[in-house]
Amino acid sequence: MIPHDILTLYTAKAIEYLVAIAFIACFIPFWRYAMSAKAQPAEATVKARVPRRTQWVEWFQVSPEVAYHPGHAWARAERPGLVTVGMDDFAQKLVGPIAEVSLPHVGARVSQGEPAWSVRADGQSVSMLSPIDGVVAAVNPNIVSSPDLVNRDPYGDGWLVRVHAPKAEATLKGLLQPRLARRWIEEATNDLRRLMAPELGLALQDGGVPVDGIAHAIDPSDWRRVARTFLLT
Amino acid sequence: MRSDAVALQSQGWLTEKIFLGLTPRAYLRSLLTPGNLAVALILVSGLGIIAYRFIYGLGAATNLSQDTPWGLWIGFDMLCGVALAAGGFTLASSVYLLGLKEYHPVVRPAVLTAFLGYVFAAIGLACDLGRPWNFPTPFLFSFGTTSVMFEVGWCVLLYTLVLAAEFTPSVFEWLGLKRWRDFMLKLTVGLTVAAVVLSTLHQASLGGLFLMAPHRIHPLWYSPFIPIFFFISAITAGLSMVIVESGLSHRAFAHRADHHVNLDRLTIGLARAAAVVLFTYFFARLQGLADGNHWALLLTGWGAWYLFEVVGFVLVPSLVLASAARREQVKLIRWTAAWVVLGVVVNRLNVSVIAFNWNVTPRYVPSVMEILTTITLVTMGVTVFRWVVNRMPVLAELPEYRETR
Repeated sequence: MIPHDILTLYTAKAIEYLVAIAFIACFIPFWRYAMSAKAQPAEATVKARVPRRTQWVEWFQVSPEVAYHPGHAWARAERPGLVTVGMDDFAQKLVGPIAEVSLPHVGARVSQGEPAWSVRADGQSVSMLSPIDGVVAAVNPNIVSSPDLVNRDPYGDGWLVRVHAPKAEATLKGLLQPRLARRWIEEATNDLRRLMAPELGLALQDGGVPVDGIAHAIDPSDWRRVARTFLLT
Repeated sequence: MRSDAVALQSQGWLTEKIFLGLTPRAYLRSLLTPGNLAVALILVSGLGIIAYRFIYGLGAATNLSQDTPWGLWIGFDMLCGVALAAGGFTLASSVYLLGLKEYHPVVRPAVLTAFLGYVFAAIGLACDLGRPWNFPTPFLFSFGTTSVMFEVGWCVLLYTLVLAAEFTPSVFEWLGLKRWRDFMLKLTVGLTVAAVVLSTLHQASLGGLFLMAPHRIHPLWYSPFIPIFFFISAITAGLSMVIVESGLSHRAFAHRADHHVNLDRLTIGLARAAAVVLFTYFFARLQGLADGNHWALLLTGWGAWYLFEVVGFVLVPSLVLASAARREQVKLIRWTAAWVVLGVVVNRLNVSVIAFNWNVTPRYVPSVMEILTTITLVTMGVTVFRWVVNRMPVLAELPEYRETR
């Protein structure tokens, strides 16, 4: 082999190594870019997806557009990988007029079945479980100034957090879907009936809806215990 | 009496399974649409041409010669058909081996597309054989283990059988044969492993065929890495084909689709995978160029065509797919996936037809009969796909089977 060929060979090999190094250097940022989701304004999607209809099951409203966690939190996929989370009508009626909601910070990780936020009512607070795994992408900014939004519109303006959940679809499938949720709320209502004090029972005989703060009505001295029984905390 | 009952029963079966619930006369009348008439015209003329080719031989029907024995039927029907069918093993392995269960709704159409792709590629190959009556020879009489075609032939045959077996659960659900369907489902993982092994072998060895002709292929396309290029690009083709096919199917067969499936989400996931594989493929092609040290050739006319292929059909769509997946622009993803599919077709035609015998004159240009035969085979594939999807549970599982996958 003449020297010229050796030089050519070395140059070719050097370029091959450079291509390999360039690939490794470019691949990692490209991978991160391709696998990430572009951040979108948190508010816009939620306002566009406020549920338009709810159905009454016994004394409680059930939304057919959300999936339910047995701890009375709901989850709704806004777009792939992004889920809005809130507490259901049963939970807000159980707890009663809410004075304060302590939400996780943006960027905090929440895990399905683990306490994620707490609500304060009648001077005491009670935790609630997250219906989904993921990272908090946004919190409802209006909840801090108007926590009663949860009481007024639990499936709409009273949403609590939005969670970035890459495996949302699979997780949501594991939650109670509307048809099953209606039966589940019926059973929870029957459990409530069994616990109720006579004065609350009287309020129902005309077919009306029980007063807000059902847990307090059942046991004024320790309403948290009642609430925690249903909220699974 | 009994025979009357049997006749009625079989008529009901035919009505339900074959005639889509219509009487034979109403069914035939429903077929009289402008689209179907165009398909019938293509099939009648195309089948006539295929018959002509078998009666009068390759010389009469094609522009192939001793210098250019492989033309459009190998370059498009075989090489592109097999590459675009790679969605079958890519999706099946993702779902059944890697556990990405959320992609299960697109596995069946991908497997069906792959199966039809292979069957019609084999028909194209049969058309291309100078002595087609020798077709069974390497499988039955003389294996020819020293031939590079031995591996390709056997792998393609075995993989076509594996694809047929992978698709049988849909057929058995359609026929109501639950036990048979359950039995075949138990074989799913084994079949998927076989699919991955066979596909890896023959997708690469289809490229390996061209290692025998280093002086016939333009240096920009010839590389010792051709088998690796073919394999990686087949994965990009398969993923892109699934994106295109699922988008079209869910629109064309909306009445047969599972509306609980969030197809947009699956499309975005597939686009991410395709973007990453395309990106890797671009650098692999660059490595091939570096290995041959053919940088100077990039400044020639062939170099411009090479760059058009590698940048225009590989790098740019990779970046567009990544960006569109990130922004969740599903429509852009589908158009870009079609662009990638076209890119793989351009690549296979470059290697096997355009840059093959690049320095030989006169240049090979496919005859009208070759082009019409190819159009006929593609039309047959689409027609069979439509027939199957309209009857069998392909885009959606039957509710009674949904629990037992």
